Amino acid sequence: MITVTSARKNYGSFAALDDVSLDIPSGSLTALLGPSGSGKSTLLRSIAGLEGLDSGTVTIQGRDVTNEPPQRRGIGFVFQHYAAFKHMTVRDNVAFGLTIRKRPKAETDKKVDELLEIVGLEGFRHRYPAQLSGGQRQRMALARALAVDPQVLLLDEPFGALDAKVRTDLRQWLRRLHDEVHVTTVLVTHDQEEALDVADRIAVLNKGQIEQVGDPVTLYERPANDFVMGFLGSVARLGGQLVRPHDIALERDRTTALANDAKVPDSPGVIDAVVERVVPLGFEVRVDLRADSGERFAAQITRRDAAELQLREGETIHARAIGRSSVVDVDPALAI
Amino acid sequence: MRVSRATRLSLRLVALGYLFVLLAVPIGVILWRSFSPGLSEFIASVSTPAARSAINLSLLIVVIVVPLNVVFGIATALALVRGRFRGRGLLQAVVDLPFAVSPIVVGVALIMLWGAGGWFGALDQAGLKVIFGLPGMVIATIFVTLPFVVREVEPVLHEIGQEQEQAASTLGANRWQTFWRITLPAIRWGLTYGVVLTVARALGEFGAVIMVSSGFPGVSQTLTLLVHSRYIDDHNTYGAYAAATLLMGIALVVLLLMTLLDRKRSDR
Repeated sequence: MITVTSARKNYGSFAALDDVSLDIPSGSLTALLGPSGSGKSTLLRSIAGLEGLDSGTVTIQGRDVTNEPPQRRGIGFVFQHYAAFKHMTVRDNVAFGLTIRKRPKAETDKKVDELLEIVGLEGFRHRYPAQLSGGQRQRMALARALAVDPQVLLLDEPFGALDAKVRTDLRQWLRRLHDEVHVTTVLVTHDQEEALDVADRIAVLNKGQIEQVGDPVTLYERPANDFVMGFLGSVARLGGQLVRPHDIALERDRTTALANDAKVPDSPGVIDAVVERVVPLGFEVRVDLRADSGERFAAQITRRDAAELQLREGETIHARAIGRSSVVDVDPALAI
Repeated sequence: MRVSRATRLSLRLVALGYLFVLLAVPIGVILWRSFSPGLSEFIASVSTPAARSAINLSLLIVVIVVPLNVVFGIATALALVRGRFRGRGLLQAVVDLPFAVSPIVVGVALIMLWGAGGWFGALDQAGLKVIFGLPGMVIATIFVTLPFVVREVEPVLHEIGQEQEQAASTLGANRWQTFWRITLPAIRWGLTYGVVLTVARALGEFGAVIMVSSGFPGVSQTLTLLVHSRYIDDHNTYGAYAAATLLMGIALVVLLLMTLLDRKRSDR
């Protein structure tokens, strides 16, 4: 369990962390999600001790580590740009923490072998980081962090520097690794898809504050405010409310639309809109629309619905929201 | 642009002639003069008591100056790259001062500071001979060689950044372990290059050292001072040539080492 209480951190007049409190349960894989400058990396680095807090406390497994240096916090840290020790072989990189702890060589070798097998780098023991690909370097960095049996594993945008394919692979791999090793893991990311994919808990940060904490389904279906809704998944603005594009139904007949809409409480009503573009996206079809008010939004409907509607660009259609679950009233102060 | 054959040849000739007259001829003359009486004559001339003492003194100064420059050079480079303190800009400028100030000015300044009538003159009266002693020559050499290690290590520190060191600290290393295991190996090529430049310059320094040395043969003459005094004071032209050749030989070894290191560095 990691507990952060009333953490504050300012860089000059910029508040990177503005009274942040967060509990991270043992064994969980928690994502800190937010746009750049939201304070997510600062929060992670504060837990690691790489950044000092102006005020507030950090406890790891019940121990107050607020004033401890990184080497006495029992953590493993993985950097976005790997931070590989360039002058050491893969073996020496992974063994570093054990060498520092002066463990017997036989024990170190055994541990390194185990870890290299887990991360799939058995054959690369005597290579140097410069001879590895980005994905391999990051797996080496993970093995290095895990070698010291950390109480918590902290990852700062670990897949940010990798290309899309490798990123998805490593993401899956990290998820499986977590299911095997069960070490409390905190992952910083700005990619909502990544957070939804790997994490079992997500904390959404914005402007140095935590907007909402919860499991992916709760955050997606019951966002606390329009920032969270807008950040997790795409949104459309429909008659003063935010709606998921796939929760918009399009109907040709206005009367039917009105009748269906009446069954949905607090709905934004039926909006007449002109079809601007129909974009097939594989399984789904995105329809770009322009409401009478001039506001543009997009609806995502299934291929079958699109075929039934036979939409043509330039014609008027009737849009309505399905269900209330993913609808958030727009806070006028926070225009998106 | 097309250049005619004649122009190209004459351009080449001018460039080669320039190098030949300015570099090759003087060095060639010294080598020829040194070795024309025979190798045994040369060896005899560079192994007189005065010559041996000069070699020893030059090497002694190098041996004292290099470790000091390494320690303070690394510390200064770390402060310049990592430090956030007032006066950092000033320090940046001060480090380059030895490049800008003529060595003879350094010598004069040292005499004014450490000499009998200077600010720290009390030391001189107390019996610690700085000026006209080994300490003065060491200080003068440090002054002129100060920027080399700093300026070679600084860009490397910039390039490697702090992430590797932070990673080491999360893995349990304290600052000292991090420095020895991560920082030092990462800057080792820059450091080696800085040391080689320092050695070459320390061996060759003349202007600052002649001002603060008493210049007694066999006591307080470095190799450069020996060359000078043999030629000017003793009218021992051959001795001057031989000592100069020896100095050149040592410098050549250093230069060779530097080239080899440079090649190794660009391989990486």
